[in-house]
Amino acid sequence: MIKKEIKNKLLKDYLKKGFLFLLLLIVLDNGVNYFLLNGLYRYYGLYNDNEIALVGHSHLMLGIDKVQMEKKLDVKVSKYTREGVNIVERDLMIDQLLKSNQQLKLVVYAVDAWMFTGEGLSENSYKQFYPFMGEKTINNYVFENAAFGDFWQHQIIKSSRYNEGLVSGSFRGYLKSWDNLKVGVLDTVALNSDIKKGDFRKIVSTKENRKIFENTLKKITQKNINIILLYVPTSSIYNNAEIGKFNSEITYFKGIESKFSNIKFLDYNELYSTNASLFYDRIHLNPEGQKLVTGSFIEYLKK
Amino acid sequence: MFGVSVLNFFCGKKIFYAATKKGKQKWFATALMFSLLPLFYFKYANFFIDSFSNLASFFDVHANKYTLNVILPVGISFFTFQALSYSIDIYRNRVGVETSLVRFTTYVAFFPQLVAGPIERSTNLLQQFYEEHEFDIKRFVEGAKLFIWGLFKKIVIADRLSVYSDSVFNNPEAHSSPTLIVATVFFTFQIYCDFSGYSDMAIGSARMLGFRLMQNFNLPYLSISIGEFWKRWHISLSTWFSDYVYIPLGGNRVSISRWVFNILVVFLLSGLWHGANWTFVIWGALHAFYYFIEFIGKKTLVLIGAEDVMKKGYYKFFKIIIVFILVCFAWIFFRANSVSDAFLIITKIVSFSGQLWTGGSSVTTLLSVLLILFLIGVQILQFNNKVSIYFSKTQLPSYVEWLSYAFLLITIALFGMSSNAFIYFQF
Repeated sequence: MIKKEIKNKLLKDYLKKGFLFLLLLIVLDNGVNYFLLNGLYRYYGLYNDNEIALVGHSHLMLGIDKVQMEKKLDVKVSKYTREGVNIVERDLMIDQLLKSNQQLKLVVYAVDAWMFTGEGLSENSYKQFYPFMGEKTINNYVFENAAFGDFWQHQIIKSSRYNEGLVSGSFRGYLKSWDNLKVGVLDTVALNSDIKKGDFRKIVSTKENRKIFENTLKKITQKNINIILLYVPTSSIYNNAEIGKFNSEITYFKGIESKFSNIKFLDYNELYSTNASLFYDRIHLNPEGQKLVTGSFIEYLKK
Repeated sequence: MFGVSVLNFFCGKKIFYAATKKGKQKWFATALMFSLLPLFYFKYANFFIDSFSNLASFFDVHANKYTLNVILPVGISFFTFQALSYSIDIYRNRVGVETSLVRFTTYVAFFPQLVAGPIERSTNLLQQFYEEHEFDIKRFVEGAKLFIWGLFKKIVIADRLSVYSDSVFNNPEAHSSPTLIVATVFFTFQIYCDFSGYSDMAIGSARMLGFRLMQNFNLPYLSISIGEFWKRWHISLSTWFSDYVYIPLGGNRVSISRWVFNILVVFLLSGLWHGANWTFVIWGALHAFYYFIEFIGKKTLVLIGAEDVMKKGYYKFFKIIIVFILVCFAWIFFRANSVSDAFLIITKIVSFSGQLWTGGSSVTTLLSVLLILFLIGVQILQFNNKVSIYFSKTQLPSYVEWLSYAFLLITIALFGMSSNAFIYFQF
């Protein structure tokens, strides 16, 4: 009897401790989430009154120096770029920007010949949006894409919404660091060999993706916001792998420019794509390349 | 697994009830041979075919090489050794006969430690299936704490370190001396955290269920000798080899040449147990070599009357560093994809030239360094009995302890990479 009473007391004691531990865990989890999310907002320039927003994937992330733009143009710039985002996710990012940044005057939307290719960029880029699950549209998007258990795990345990890239982004937001850290030069021999073997991403434009893109553009223009479709150069070796299809994509972007009055298409391929020393890999610029392209872009904006 | 269990269960009975020593020997040999046969078939057949074929071509004899296309069953080395320990213990009259096949197969297939150990003995684990296991909240919490610590070591530390070490070891020719040194040190901590992490999770989850499994790691990188390292590293395997191979061979109560042979056999078998590749054999041989050098060194120091020096603190610290470096060096063979890769890595390391590669993600590399420092800090606290992961009372205030575990859980959620398999699954 006494033994049972001791056991019950011990159980109650541990249950009390367990409850307090759970409470501590929830507080800590929310604290970590709050801190990291705030850093990400700073890094991406969300919930800011910035006038210009750069939107795209890693191609743009490494291609344009937002700090230089802010210094030379004296305007505030949001740089909302996520690795491996597909066309639907860019639409989602635009929604986030339009909702959170009320003073936007110009959206710089990064384009490239492979952007309408549904497959091959990333299949699980929705995972990058986990930190924003607190926002209704993002939450719905993640719910549609993630597995049931995966969704609820990230819904409940907020710290699990981040990975190293996002933690790094958050800290960079607090440290105000947007530097291109991809030091190195494109290995043209390897790239030529890959292309010879057919080991490269093929250009496949789908009507659905083009429609989503055009709807995104309409959505932005309806808010009286100007758009620049910016083609940060990709290596000419890579561009030439399917030169016919590549040119056809460029023609499409030019067509878009003529269709909308407040959309401009800027293609920096002719200027820089043949200079391999400006590239880190086939599609990403190194810091030197970034400096040159940003310089040209700033000059264009000044005009 | 079921076949090995049934075989040892019935052979155990036959050994126990055999009237003559010869009869016991016959059934014991049957258990031994037929238990090791699947292990040999699945794990070592291709290795021996390859080695034999290479040897033949060295002598200009070209034989058609036929290799088996089989998948290695997960944890085969672990459950084979665990089932065998019963037959050996019965043969040595250390345990009584097991009457229930269900109980015996549950012992062999006990899920917490099934795929990566610790390798349990019938004298410990099988006996626990006779006990009543009531829910005990204190024991449950202790087990959960150990499980969390193991999970942290595995998915936060080991998996993070693997990002760097895998990319370097899989492409050694592209990397320089400092990079290869860092990758080797990273792998040293990776394999420790991977394996001891799994062991802690196994011991912790068994503890939650009311079972006591043996401790498998005890701060091995703080050992002051290679002998001590093997008493602290993968304790269940080293004691298995000691109990069931080294001692039956005569242990150290034999002539010096026979003792050298015994040590060599145990280390080579230990290497081969880890994998059917010459890299593992060399890894085992290297540890045997260290062991002999250490033995000679110790004898020399005693001969010249330097025993007092051996007791000094700085001497112990110096030895910890030396043992750590030697162990690190041996891990190169363990991790390298081939013997030629291992030699390439060593050659490049001793050139001491080139630039340090900061890794595919500099954040991950920096985080890896911080995690290693954190682990070393915790281990030093453990070494000095300031904290204990293994169930005894810690000297930390309880709120610090709770906060630590909350921190570990948050870090697991934040940095967990659940996709990486356990390294020891392959054994």
